[in-house]
Amino acid sequence: MSSQMEILDVSKAYSDSKKALPALQSITFGVDRGEFVCIVGPSGCGKSTLLKIVAGLERPTSGQVRFEGKPLTSPHEKISMVFQSFALFPWRTILGNVEYGLEMQGWPRDKRRGIALECLEMVGLSECENMYPKQLSGGMKQRVGIARALAVDPEIILMDEAFSAIDEFTAETLREEVAEIHRETNKTFLLVTHNLPEAIELADRIVVLSARPGKIKNILDVELERPRDKARSDFVQIHKDIFHLLKEELESSIVKHKISCIHEFQKLHDMETK
Amino acid sequence: MNIRGLSTLLDRRKTQKASVKFGSMLWLIPVVSFMIVWELVARTGIVPTGRVPAFTTVLATMYKCLMIPDFSLRVFRSFLNLSIGILSALFLALPLSLVAGLRSRIDLTLTPIIMLIGALPDLALLPLVVMWFGPGNAAAVMMAAICAFFPIYFTVREGAKGIPRDYFHVATVFKAGRFSTTSKVILPSVFPNMVTGLRLSFDFVWEIILAIEIIASVTGIGTFIESSVSAGTVEYAFAGILFVGLIALSVDRLLFRTLESRIARWRE
Repeated sequence: MSSQMEILDVSKAYSDSKKALPALQSITFGVDRGEFVCIVGPSGCGKSTLLKIVAGLERPTSGQVRFEGKPLTSPHEKISMVFQSFALFPWRTILGNVEYGLEMQGWPRDKRRGIALECLEMVGLSECENMYPKQLSGGMKQRVGIARALAVDPEIILMDEAFSAIDEFTAETLREEVAEIHRETNKTFLLVTHNLPEAIELADRIVVLSARPGKIKNILDVELERPRDKARSDFVQIHKDIFHLLKEELESSIVKHKISCIHEFQKLHDMETK
Repeated sequence: MNIRGLSTLLDRRKTQKASVKFGSMLWLIPVVSFMIVWELVARTGIVPTGRVPAFTTVLATMYKCLMIPDFSLRVFRSFLNLSIGILSALFLALPLSLVAGLRSRIDLTLTPIIMLIGALPDLALLPLVVMWFGPGNAAAVMMAAICAFFPIYFTVREGAKGIPRDYFHVATVFKAGRFSTTSKVILPSVFPNMVTGLRLSFDFVWEIILAIEIIASVTGIGTFIESSVSAGTVEYAFAGILFVGLIALSVDRLLFRTLESRIARWRE
């Protein structure tokens, strides 16, 4: 059986006026239905770009993303997204924000309300339906973001650094709740993060990307039993392994950077002596 | 806590409440003293009443004005001219400022020329506008529109520039169309800026209404004040001026304050 979603040889380059700046290079992996996949990598490796391509917010320069066997070229109504900045509309009430996706799909008002209330209950915010986003804390705002993503009953939920703008205590409980939602709904999750323990805590599989341009460094299966305990030795071991991979990556990119600096300096020196 | 402690606490709260009440009434002191001084200056003859009529005379004249149908018509005329002018400025400025705020290339093309025209003194254009449109309401509406355009354009453009990119990402992910993105993301985002722009425009245009109406020869409240002065019935001029102030204040309170307090409910 083929995967629910396949990312096939996806590359992305941003074109500058002078040259193309590669951001992603030949990314290929599949995601199975109900799987929780995390994408980790050093900052600037293009992991968020990869997620945006899957969301249909950006087009790959080459390669393609296939969803249920069909190529994905624009946003798909079965794929929804949770944002690092929460991206709630401040002029809408909490309920109005959760209803937004349903509204775009043309659901009648009373049905929208019913579904949105259900989703708010799922994230434990049913009391807040009439509040405005500014009245909520960061953690609560992200719960609304998750409820909004769930409301359209997607097959895949994309999360772009969804826990990064929240204080660690709140983020921890929110992660536990997302793990719970994943278990209950059996939806597919794709989370981009730079937080390794977070990835190990949530993921069935972790895709490790290299520094810019992002290439697949490794794909690891995380076969720890849930709920996962950060203090267990196997958790710590996986953390060490990935950290080692990334450290190697960072060091090599720092060395590359240093060498290029030396070359630049050499050129300047040559020019002066001429 | 014992009863005594509780009662002193309650007492303190009472005095606090009373002082808040007192504080919110402080503005009355200068207002009332101003009226008294005005009345005295006129009544004692320090300034001849032909120049400054007594405050009570002005109040009586204001009452008389309300009885004159021509006066109400003039007020209505001025208000209508300004409103049409400001609304047409809004219809022109809104789409232009939105595309400028959202597309940097259009902004770079369009905004310099708009800045250049906006830098011209608006009142200097007045005689030209009268020449082009002829004296009358059309020239007044046109002038109001010119004055109102720039504050609206610049505040809304600023608002459109500040819309977070993720708002558009949300719209795209949930498959919102162009129309829906405009009506449900862009317009609500810039609504507070639009209210600010309209408020600035209204204040500004209402302030120079006299100049507009005199030069454009419109029979409105502005020309009423002017002709009262030249006819020597100064108390009518004073009454007219007070009405202009009162109308500006009530539009500000009833329309703009209400809108702003609604916006404040959700704005961070």
